Amino acid sequence: MEEKFEPKIIAFLCKWCSSAGSDLAGVSRMKYPPNVVPITVMCSGSISPNYILSAFKDGADGVLVSGCHPGDCHYIKGNYYARRRITLVKELLEFIGIEPERFQMSWVSAAEGAKYTEIIKDFVKELEPLGPQNKLRSNL
Amino acid sequence: MQMILSKMNFSSWLKKLNSYRIFAPVKSGEVWSYELVEKPENIILDYPNTIIPPKKVLFPQREVLLEFESSSEQEIKLKEVIPEETPSVIFGIRSCDASGLAKLEKIFKGGFEDLYFSKRKNQTILVGLACNIPPSPDCFCTSVGGSPYSKDGLDILMTDMGDEYYVESVTEEGEKLIESAIGLFNDPEENVKKELEKIHLESEKKIKRYIKDIDKISSKLPEIFETEFWDKESLSCILCGICTYSCPVCHCFDINDEVICTFPLKGKRVRTWDNCQFPDFTMHSSGHNPRPDKASRLRQRIMHKFNYFNENCMELLCTGCGRCISKCPVGIDIVEVLEKVRVYEK
Amino acid sequence: MVKLDDIKKECKSILEEGKVKYIVGYKRNNNYYMSIPAFIEKIEETDQLIWDPTCVYNLVRFLRDEKLRKERQKTPDTRPIGVIVKGCDSRAINVLLQEKFIKRENVYIIGVACEKSGVIEKKKLRKKFNEKNIKQIEFGKDNNFIITTEKGKTTISAEEILAERCIECNNNTPVIYDVLLGEKVERSLSEHFRSLEKFESISTEEKWNFWKKELDKCIRCYACRSVCPMCYCDECIADSISLAVKPDTTAEEKAQKIRWVEKSPVSSENFSYHLIRALHLAGRCIDCGECERVCPVDIPLRYLNKKMEKEASEQFGYTAGLDPEKPALVSDFKDDDPQDFII
Repeated sequence: MEEKFEPKIIAFLCKWCSSAGSDLAGVSRMKYPPNVVPITVMCSGSISPNYILSAFKDGADGVLVSGCHPGDCHYIKGNYYARRRITLVKELLEFIGIEPERFQMSWVSAAEGAKYTEIIKDFVKELEPLGPQNKLRSNL
Repeated sequence: MQMILSKMNFSSWLKKLNSYRIFAPVKSGEVWSYELVEKPENIILDYPNTIIPPKKVLFPQREVLLEFESSSEQEIKLKEVIPEETPSVIFGIRSCDASGLAKLEKIFKGGFEDLYFSKRKNQTILVGLACNIPPSPDCFCTSVGGSPYSKDGLDILMTDMGDEYYVESVTEEGEKLIESAIGLFNDPEENVKKELEKIHLESEKKIKRYIKDIDKISSKLPEIFETEFWDKESLSCILCGICTYSCPVCHCFDINDEVICTFPLKGKRVRTWDNCQFPDFTMHSSGHNPRPDKASRLRQRIMHKFNYFNENCMELLCTGCGRCISKCPVGIDIVEVLEKVRVYEK
Repeated sequence: MVKLDDIKKECKSILEEGKVKYIVGYKRNNNYYMSIPAFIEKIEETDQLIWDPTCVYNLVRFLRDEKLRKERQKTPDTRPIGVIVKGCDSRAINVLLQEKFIKRENVYIIGVACEKSGVIEKKKLRKKFNEKNIKQIEFGKDNNFIITTEKGKTTISAEEILAERCIECNNNTPVIYDVLLGEKVERSLSEHFRSLEKFESISTEEKWNFWKKELDKCIRCYACRSVCPMCYCDECIADSISLAVKPDTTAEEKAQKIRWVEKSPVSSENFSYHLIRALHLAGRCIDCGECERVCPVDIPLRYLNKKMEKEASEQFGYTAGLDPEKPALVSDFKDDDPQDFII
């Protein structure tokens, strides 16, 4: 039997909202695909484009950046900075021919466990037909 | 052995060499470079000169030296990676590049033998092409002990005679390469040799750039080591790596461990080209950099080529290919710099 | 039209008055039709100065060298240095001022307006002429260039050999200067982002194949970084300066050290380097096109930066190097920045 492709997602979650949201999904026993490796960061604004590129380089099939809703940032405006920066990263990745589905950003609050599970479910569904990401994967 | 090969038979000769890997200049966009050729019949030998010299075939920009793997702190498995000895031929090397490879051989095989270079070199036959016209307006091979038809470092030298090539073997390996397809070659008629000499002499005359008193310059360099000459000459330098990466004899390298997986630890130790113009080239782990500015780095490049190597090996570390002049993004001209050294007075 | 004599006169007078330490301008390459950067210290040397369509260099790059030199000297000459800038180059000065890398009093800006032309692109020139025969290229009247070859003079419409970036340029007049030579001329030769149009109609796979082919050529000579006036980081992410390996550094520690980009010129590392560079230049690149010009293997690097410029302009209404007082693109935000892509 052919093995089904299981996409690997790296999710950079801000500590105050999105990470807490994913915890809520966990403690509430909500079901979502196990394809995601969450990495908690202090703020979505602290995510350097380097993180994203090296996640792809180390073999991520998809990368998710998630932070607090606008206005809710623990550091007042970190997520606003993130929004600009991630826009640029997203545009650049699309420009060089990376499928736009592979890189996504979301706002997930600490209360939105359900939203988090939906995001991951959809993300996995979108990545499945694309197959493994080999374009940026390290070929050292 | 001296033979004549009709240009029509050139590709048949190449086809007969199917037991070799064949490298030749390939054009992509506007850039020529030495590449492994799948269809040797498509080789075009009428080319200016490549950006990257053929050193990249014998001394690749990235070379894996060994692979390591460790599952615990006590145990580290090492696997040496030695290049396979595949017989290869490089076609269409210019005389300057061939003498560059001969100089590299002195470096990589003199004293300490570098396995990686020498394994490749031993299995590679170099077929040169004399320059009837200098491939670049910046050529100055005659000033540094070379010539557009020098046989130094080559196994075979070919000269374009219009409809045919004059093919001359220099070494036994070269002779064998010709003999393997001897049916395609003809013996040269007597007047052809005169013609050949004429072509060679004329091509030498076409070289426009010349360095005067190169020996004097070489011995004068240490005298002006501490002067502000270098500050002035390096003002426009931007410290990129074009001059050294495109140099047929620059051979500095860096060794790094490239980690592919952190747990279990797995990776490769690789050697990559390095460059005396880069900020981290001489950087010490203390943070001190003995060559902190561009003056000292330009000086290093000139001193290494025209003084240090001359003292150690009694020859210049420059073949006069002119690449560093043509490709310098800010027009730094090594011939002019040396001329300024010659006339410089403290 | 800008008169060379005016440039020389201005340079002479500021050197005479002792206003500047030296002037960075353009002079002729002795063996080639191109110009080269000139560092003019003495009044009599001002005669070497030239102004023609081969003045491609962005001389603002050399302000960084001056800054480093000053830092090393015990009693540095604190006078400013003069620098001759085109419209695009002047925006680079604005970015450096905005980032507080230099101070306004460190530099005396001699602005030169490109008016209706600009500088040449060698690639285009090579298609029309045998480079070896070219002796000189000059500005002609009516938006023309005059090319002198061994056979004589030829007039050619500027647009035929004008650099792509000049065709797309919006700042033919310097935006910051102490003295301006030439006239402020309104012009619109073409759409500002015309060169990117060809990417809009192609598929993701085609885009990838294009960039894969181009970036695989990279030999990591870092000429693009070295020539860039904005690439002034003390420690570039591509260098290993910050990764000093000491005798007691264990294999484990080495492995854990973050190396964003390895030195090996393989596909994934080349992509990392060029993407990071493009992102670091987002909102800072002023499209002087130097990175693309110096690339020895002809990678069209300008498109990456141009793409970032386009997004900055269209999504955030930001153009680099126009106002040194404004916050930079990525250290600012608006409440209503676009966020349609965010789930």
